[in-house]
Amino acid sequence: MNSKAPAALAVVLALAVGGVVPPAGAQGPIRVGASLSLTGTYAKLGNYMHEGYKLCAKEWNAKGGLLGRKLEFVVYDDQSTPATGVRLYEKLITEDKVDAVMGPYSSPITEAVVNVTEKYKKVAVSPLAATTSIFKRPPDKKRNYIFMIISPAEVYLEGLVDMAAKRGLKTVAILNEDTLFAKAAATGAAESAKKRGMQVVFQEGYPKGTQDFSAILTKIKAANPDVVAASTYFDDAVAITRQMKELNVNPKMYGLTVGGDLPEFYNLLKQNAEYIYGATQWEKTLPYPGNKEFDANYTKEFGREPVYHSAAGYAGCQVYFEAVKRAGTLDADKVRDALLKLEMRTAFGDYKVDEDGFQIAHKMVMTQWQDGKKVIVWPDELANGKARFPMPPWTGR
Amino acid sequence: MKRALAVVALLLLAALAAYPVFGTGYGVRSIQQIFMWVALAGSWNLISGLTGYVSFGHVAFFGAGAYTGAILVASAGWPWPVAALAGGAASMVLAVVIGYPCLRLKGPYFAIAMLGLNEVLRALVSYFEGLTGGGNGLSLPTLDAAVPIYYVMGVLALAVTAMSWLIVTSRFGLRLMTIREDEVAAEAMGIDTFHHKLGAFLLSAVGPGVAGALTARDQGYIEPISVFPLAVTVTMIVMALFGGKGTVFGPVLGAVVLFIAQEIVWARYPYVHPLLFGALIVMVVLLMPRGVLGLLQQRYRLPRTI
Amino acid sequence: MNVVTPAMLGQVIVSGILAGSLYAMVALGLGLIFGVMRVINIAHGPLLMLGAYTTFFLTTHAGMNPFLTVPVSMAALFVVGVVLQRGLVFRVVDAPELSSLLLTFGISIALVNLAQLTFTSDLRAVEYITGSWVLGGLAFSKPRVIAFAFAVGVTALSFLLLKTTRLGKAIRATSQSREVAMVCGVDVGRIHMLTFGFASALAAAGGALLAVIVAIQPEMGGVWTFKSFLVIVLGGAGNYPGALLGGLLLGLVEQVASLFLTTQLSEVVAYVLLVLVLLVRPSGLLGGRQT
Repeated sequence: MNSKAPAALAVVLALAVGGVVPPAGAQGPIRVGASLSLTGTYAKLGNYMHEGYKLCAKEWNAKGGLLGRKLEFVVYDDQSTPATGVRLYEKLITEDKVDAVMGPYSSPITEAVVNVTEKYKKVAVSPLAATTSIFKRPPDKKRNYIFMIISPAEVYLEGLVDMAAKRGLKTVAILNEDTLFAKAAATGAAESAKKRGMQVVFQEGYPKGTQDFSAILTKIKAANPDVVAASTYFDDAVAITRQMKELNVNPKMYGLTVGGDLPEFYNLLKQNAEYIYGATQWEKTLPYPGNKEFDANYTKEFGREPVYHSAAGYAGCQVYFEAVKRAGTLDADKVRDALLKLEMRTAFGDYKVDEDGFQIAHKMVMTQWQDGKKVIVWPDELANGKARFPMPPWTGR
Repeated sequence: MKRALAVVALLLLAALAAYPVFGTGYGVRSIQQIFMWVALAGSWNLISGLTGYVSFGHVAFFGAGAYTGAILVASAGWPWPVAALAGGAASMVLAVVIGYPCLRLKGPYFAIAMLGLNEVLRALVSYFEGLTGGGNGLSLPTLDAAVPIYYVMGVLALAVTAMSWLIVTSRFGLRLMTIREDEVAAEAMGIDTFHHKLGAFLLSAVGPGVAGALTARDQGYIEPISVFPLAVTVTMIVMALFGGKGTVFGPVLGAVVLFIAQEIVWARYPYVHPLLFGALIVMVVLLMPRGVLGLLQQRYRLPRTI
Repeated sequence: MNVVTPAMLGQVIVSGILAGSLYAMVALGLGLIFGVMRVINIAHGPLLMLGAYTTFFLTTHAGMNPFLTVPVSMAALFVVGVVLQRGLVFRVVDAPELSSLLLTFGISIALVNLAQLTFTSDLRAVEYITGSWVLGGLAFSKPRVIAFAFAVGVTALSFLLLKTTRLGKAIRATSQSREVAMVCGVDVGRIHMLTFGFASALAAAGGALLAVIVAIQPEMGGVWTFKSFLVIVLGGAGNYPGALLGGLLLGLVEQVASLFLTTQLSEVVAYVLLVLVLLVRPSGLLGGRQT
């Protein structure tokens, strides 16, 4: 009986103290939670995105924070798996009780995680989800709190098709990795081509991890297309390019989705990378406001140049904080309204969404390797060079 | 002693049943995962622990159940509990189809065949994209069923464990273990080894099938690579092995202990946790092939049927 | 939609044979481990990956000709293989297959993680020779032809070693019957060690040759482990010439199926073939060791 009294007193005191001290949220930092792919398949790109988030938070903190409070990111590793991402967002929202969340890396993980953020009605700006179907849903399954930053997968190769159509080319061959993003890009390219009166003479998907493209390229060669569009990731891009040379597949234009724009692409392929088109969401040479500063600050902070994943993470975070600032509160519905109305140009490009949170303003650009340099060749208003056409046969170089 | 254990067990069950009321969303999901692993490890134990036939592609049943359940919910609008049962049924059918030819194979060949099976299913799912969404994955209508699924998964874990207990304490189980010890002798004694193996294989497929369908509903989105990974098979094997394969509660112990260990390790050492997992596997295989319960059984003369 | 001409078929047959030679060489290693030690080596792919990285570093930092690094990679991984066998694998020789499956799986994920930590997941490639020789209208990829030549050479030497040298005979004897080999005076423990080393060297050779053809990254080996299994089953586990046949067959089946169907389906075809062979002729097309 006696031993219980001090314990009871302690409990009462604790409650009293807890009641007197205001809840931490009101005074402490704004904690923004996210689960990112820090290990696993998407590790490299997930880490770049993380760096974008970090730089953005640092810059806002230097200018006094948001709503008078400092910003702090709480980041967990989802190991590049959707299932883990789902659990982590539950943890962030229900246990860590973060004030806000930002999206994870990649479409599959975003698609899985969205169910959690919608359940708890948390606004989630998703900087690196490019799949239309995440945002565009039938009316009874609408999602209200997610917002897209980058251009959707379907328009990745739009520039390639546009340039080809303008030159009067007629036939397109498409190959893609059989995964969510790559398929969407391929489908988009095919539709785009058909709309412009071009004929899709070949379209086939290949399983992830394929290293030998002889059969696919043999079929493509037999179809003799003017344009080859490959919806790939980096390692496939290298293999496909090398094997195109080996099998002497010579389209007039050859473009890639992911990987064609990375510096490593040229380093690995050297001469063989010339004339190849790449699609990118962002280049550091683009004339967007704050772009040069972003490039300089990022390079200083992380010791290397930014790629578009970092820029997208940075921009997504900027957009979200700006919306919160304009709404004057962290309340999800008010911030949501602010995001729906917001039109903004960041170092990454334009932001404007439709009523589904789907990105409608951001533009993809197409690059081409010319003399070892990456030149922006499309769209005209953002280009800093002219495309070299046609691609000469492999053996002629 | 037995009564004390029973009381503790009942209290534990009551606590687990009450947890969702005062636990966090994350806690509910985590415990639900533990239930899932108990069901998976326990199911694997039914075929491989008892008969000695190593199913190295057991996650194939999980994936098959996941896709069956997901397709029924997304395309045919079935309610998810029924779809989950259908997932279990589909896995049973798959087990018969695969078991008939493959259970005639000897040890290592059976293991390789099961490994190949997993990959065939993954490739087939990718191919029949009209039905399964292929590489795009399959998205289910949004539904927050985390708490009901917690309960159902819990019931599944109980069911698998109960089934395990029933089998291990029965003549059927005894015959399975005879097959494990010496199949030729078992045949000589008149045991119809093939049908016994097939029966165990069927029963071992139901748990993963239902668990797969439930997981698909819970995640709301599945894609081929995430429901057919080899790592899941290996994890359920290591859990069963750690706890004690061939026992009833070994897989339960293994699932709980290893899941918690994994969570702690992964939170602290994200970049090296595969290495640590690999080291764990090596350790378990080399140092404690009989598992914790196996060791205890030997040391303390515990009954065979725990 | 696809019209297949003889030229197209010819082209993929060429590609299939070139690819098949590598499959055969790498699978021979896996087959040796299984035949001699009854161990299913899931770490085979990661060993190949280490061979590829060895070549990469020798080429970029020591300026060696990538094809000349093949013997060096082989030697390096021979040592690694011996160490692994001596340290870990010997404990599961002749154990139930579950033990060897799990042990080698554990080793494989440890090796891949170590590679990720040491080399990072950045893709590397060795740029040495590209393009192809054209013969009779068919393109023969230059790097693959050279790889083919090396693979054939290494495989031929391996067979020579197995058939004519004392060591080779000891290996084959142990493969057929351990007890009898011991009775005949073979130091079985030593044979196991050397076999694992030798098999690792074969995997490394595959990796070294691949370094010029595909992108190098820590997880590149997984696919190769699977394919090696397919080859072993097709040819017959424990049947070493079977590995050759199996390798070429797999290479051809993959390419031809990709041509007539789609690349995705060719995966299914390969695995269905595996299951069929296991069911109809479990000892492989050429017959393997009797269990």
